[in-house]
Amino acid sequence: MDLKKKILFFIFVAELAADCEQAVDPTRVIVAGGSLTEIIFFLGEESVLTAVDITSNYPGSATSLPSIGYVRALSTEGILSLNPTLILGEEDMGPPLVVDQIKSTGIDLRVIEEDYSLNSIKNKIICVAKILGIEKKGDQIFHEKLNSTIIDLQALSLFNQNNLKKVLIILNMDGTSPIVAGKNTSANGFIEMMGAENAVTGFDGWKPVGAESIIQMNPDMVIITERGIRNFESIDEFIEKTSLGFTSAGKNGKIFALDGMKMLGFGPRSPDTALELAKIIN
Amino acid sequence: MFELISKFNKLKFINNLQLLIILILVVVLFISLYLGISLGSFQISFFDYLFGNDSKLQQRVFEEIRLPRVFLAGIVGASLALSGASLQGLFRNPLADPGLIGVSAGAALGATLVIVLGSSWVPSYIFGPFILPLSAIAGAAFVIYLLYLFTKGFGYSGITYMLLVGIAVNALASVGIGILTFISTDSELRGLTFWTMGSFGAANWLLVLPAYIFIIPAFIWLLNSARKLDLLQLGEPEAIRLGVDVRSLKFKVIITSAIVVGISVSLSGMIGFVGLVVPHLVRLIGGVNHNYLIPASIIFGSSIMIIADLLSRVLIQPAELPVGLLTSAIGAPFFLWLILRVKKT
Repeated sequence: MDLKKKILFFIFVAELAADCEQAVDPTRVIVAGGSLTEIIFFLGEESVLTAVDITSNYPGSATSLPSIGYVRALSTEGILSLNPTLILGEEDMGPPLVVDQIKSTGIDLRVIEEDYSLNSIKNKIICVAKILGIEKKGDQIFHEKLNSTIIDLQALSLFNQNNLKKVLIILNMDGTSPIVAGKNTSANGFIEMMGAENAVTGFDGWKPVGAESIIQMNPDMVIITERGIRNFESIDEFIEKTSLGFTSAGKNGKIFALDGMKMLGFGPRSPDTALELAKIIN
Repeated sequence: MFELISKFNKLKFINNLQLLIILILVVVLFISLYLGISLGSFQISFFDYLFGNDSKLQQRVFEEIRLPRVFLAGIVGASLALSGASLQGLFRNPLADPGLIGVSAGAALGATLVIVLGSSWVPSYIFGPFILPLSAIAGAAFVIYLLYLFTKGFGYSGITYMLLVGIAVNALASVGIGILTFISTDSELRGLTFWTMGSFGAANWLLVLPAYIFIIPAFIWLLNSARKLDLLQLGEPEAIRLGVDVRSLKFKVIITSAIVVGISVSLSGMIGFVGLVVPHLVRLIGGVNHNYLIPASIIFGSSIMIIADLLSRVLIQPAELPVGLLTSAIGAPFFLWLILRVKKT
C-alpha cells in the first residue's frame, strides 16, 4: 500500500513537473489535442507529426494524418504501434490509465498546461517550441504572426471592461434546452479574453438552461457553435425560430455562429476570433 | 358529458367513487396547469396576462415559450402513462412499460442519428427544425414494423414471444446508439447525454400542436378498448371465448402506444418511470378496471409531468435539471416503497 502511494505520488509530481524542456528526440511526434496540432502547424513543424487525435481538424491537412482516436479515449497499443518518440497532449488527454501505461514504457509524454487565458495561448506556443527544440524560431514566429493581435486584443479588452457586456456561448440545442457555458469553461475564458463577462452566473461547466432564463439573463451577444445551428438554413432563420430573438443580442443582430475550435480551442486562431468579436461587441 | 357518465354507470364499468377520483384528478390537473404556467424564472403572472397588464416581452415569453412547454409536458406525461397502463393490461404484466417493446429505444436511435450525424443529408428547407422529431418518429415506426413483422401482425404465439422480440429490438437499438455515441465528438456527446435525460426545452407551438393532433385521436381510439382489456385479464382463450378479437386488440394497443410514445420521446427525450409508476398509483387509489384506469392515468400522468417540468425549471435556476432525472429519482424509490407495502399486506 505504501509503495503504491509512493508510486502514485511520484506520478503526480512527475505530472506537475511536465515542463517545457527540450525533448531528446522530437522527430516522431503524436499529438492529442486540436490546439497543439494547430500550434505545430503554426510553427511550421508539421513534418514531425506522426499521428493526431480526431479533435485535430485544423488545418485541413492535419486530418490526412493517421488518427489515434478521441483525445479522452486513447488506446495504449494503438499509440505505441506508431512508434512515437514524443507525445504531446492537452490536459484532457486520457483515460489516465492509458497515459500512465504509456509513461511507464519510457516514452517522453508531455501534458501541456492550459488555463483558458490569453497568456496560456502564448505559453503553449512557446512551450511547444521549446520542447521541439526551436525556441528561437518559435519566438520569432510568435512575434511575427500573433504578437500584434494579442496586443490589440489586450488593449481592446481593457477598453471593453469599462462597459462590461454580457456574452452567452451556446454549444448546441438539438432537442433540448440550449446547453450553455458556465464558469470554469473554455468559453468563459474566451469571453474574458474579449473583455466581456459571461451572461451565465451560478454554475460551473456546460449545462442546459431554459429559454426563459436566457431571456432573463438578456445577453448582449450570443455565440453558438456552427454545429449548433446546422439544422437551420441560416443564422437568421435560427434567430427567428428560437427564443434568442427576445434578447438584446437578438434585437441588435449580435448573434453569431462560429467554428468551435476556432473560438474555444485556445490555439493560435483564438486571439484573432476574440479580437474580431471584441471589436463589435460595443 | 352527463349522458356519457350515466352510460358508464348503467354498464357498471366504472363506479361512482372512481368517477369522483377522476373528477379530483381533473381538479389536480388544473392546479398543476395553473402552477406550471404561472411559475418560472421569468416573472409572469397568469392573471396579469389575462387582463393584459403585462409588458409586451412578458406576453410573448408567456405565449411562445412557457405555454407550449407546459402543454408539451402535459401531453407527454399523458402519453407515457396511457401507454404504460394499456401495455400492462395487454401483457397482463405489471412491469410492462413503454420501454419494454423497444419503441422508446427506436425513437432514441432516430434522434441520436440526427444529433450525431447532423441533418446535412436532408435538405433543411424541407424539414428544418422538425428533422429531429421526424427522425425519432421514423425510428419508432421502424421498431413497430419490426415487431409487426416478427409477430405476424401481432397475432402470433402469444405475449411472451412479443416480449422477447421487444427485448431483442431494444438491444439492437442500444447497439446503434452505442456506435453513434462512440463516433460522436465532445459537443455532440454533451447534447446526447442531456437528450437522454429528457427535456421539454425544445418546445414550441410548431412542434406541440401536431403532437396534440396525432396523440388525442390515439387516446380516444384506445379509450373504447378499455372493456376489452378488462376481459383480457381473464386470459387470452377466455377473452376470445367472450367475443374479444384479441388479435385486433393487440394491434390497436401496440400501434397507439408506439405512436404516442414515439411522438413523446421524439419531442422530449427519454423520461423514465412515469409510464410504469402512474398506472400503479392510479390502481392503488381507485381500482383496476380499464374504464377508470385509462382516463385516470392520462389525467394523472399529465399533472405529474407538468409538476416535474416545473421543478426541473426552477430547482437549480438558471440551469435546468433534466426532467428525466427528476421523474426517475422520485419514481424509483416510490416504486420500491410500493413493492414493500404490497408484500406486507
